[in-house]
Amino acid sequence: MKKNDILLIAIIIVISLAALLVYNILGKAEQLKAVIVHDNQLIERIDLSKVEEPRTITVSGDYHNIIRVEKDRIRFEKSDCPEQICVHTGWLSKFGDIAVCMPNKTIIDIQKK
Amino acid sequence: MSTKRLALIAMLVAQATILHYLEGLLPNPVPIPGVKLGLANIITLLALILYDFKTALNVVVLRTILGSLLNGTLFGVGFFLSFTGAMTAAAMMLLLLRVFPVLSVVGVSVAGAIAHSIGQLLMAALIISQPGIFYYLPFMLLFSIPSGIITGLLLKALLKYIEKSGGKIPGEKSRGGQSDSW
Repeated sequence: MKKNDILLIAIIIVISLAALLVYNILGKAEQLKAVIVHDNQLIERIDLSKVEEPRTITVSGDYHNIIRVEKDRIRFEKSDCPEQICVHTGWLSKFGDIAVCMPNKTIIDIQKK
Repeated sequence: MSTKRLALIAMLVAQATILHYLEGLLPNPVPIPGVKLGLANIITLLALILYDFKTALNVVVLRTILGSLLNGTLFGVGFFLSFTGAMTAAAMMLLLLRVFPVLSVVGVSVAGAIAHSIGQLLMAALIISQPGIFYYLPFMLLFSIPSGIITGLLLKALLKYIEKSGGKIPGEKSRGGQSDSW
């Protein structure tokens, strides 16, 4: 491995860590909204701080996603897509958090009000 | 097209397809779409080093189609992601091998992995029209480093083996990547 290789790797690490730091700083906002989009159509905007009763939302397209909403958090609970990446992403609760089901074209992301 | 070239491309495509397929069987290490080891990229880089861009392009196009056919994702979202990623990686690695030969094989492989992540995310953002997906980029970039190093080292071992068994590796001097201890 040459010096340039190490330089490239160092630059990438610095850029990535800087970006993660920015996420962390921006993530400390309150009053967050979860936005569910399927196939470029807005399904629902949810004010997460105002969720009283946990509930589920089903989004159907090429596949089916079951999304669970609780107070201050949201996640893909079940999906019949092949890779299950959306389910494995787990709970979203901070600004900027995002979970995507590429096969079903569903995105949940957390935005500020 | 000469018979030799035909046989050569067929062989590289077969190797790349199998690697692509096997990788699809591995569980995803982290819950981020498209994070993979990128084993098939070894063959793309091998084709670039031993032959030319045209050969590498043939291999990339054919192996993504055949690999996706085997995985059952042909013309699905996953196919377009890996196709765009593989093409971007090939272009980036060509650039670093021929135009700016400043990196060793391992460095080129890491750069290829990074280009793969960026190309794939661009395509994903296009498919779902949501630039917010770039949120994943730093995670993917960090993951590109170990995966690029691993595939780069595998390729390096392969090149050494080819040289030992009498094969010629063009452009070694200009790149100067073989004099180190890796």
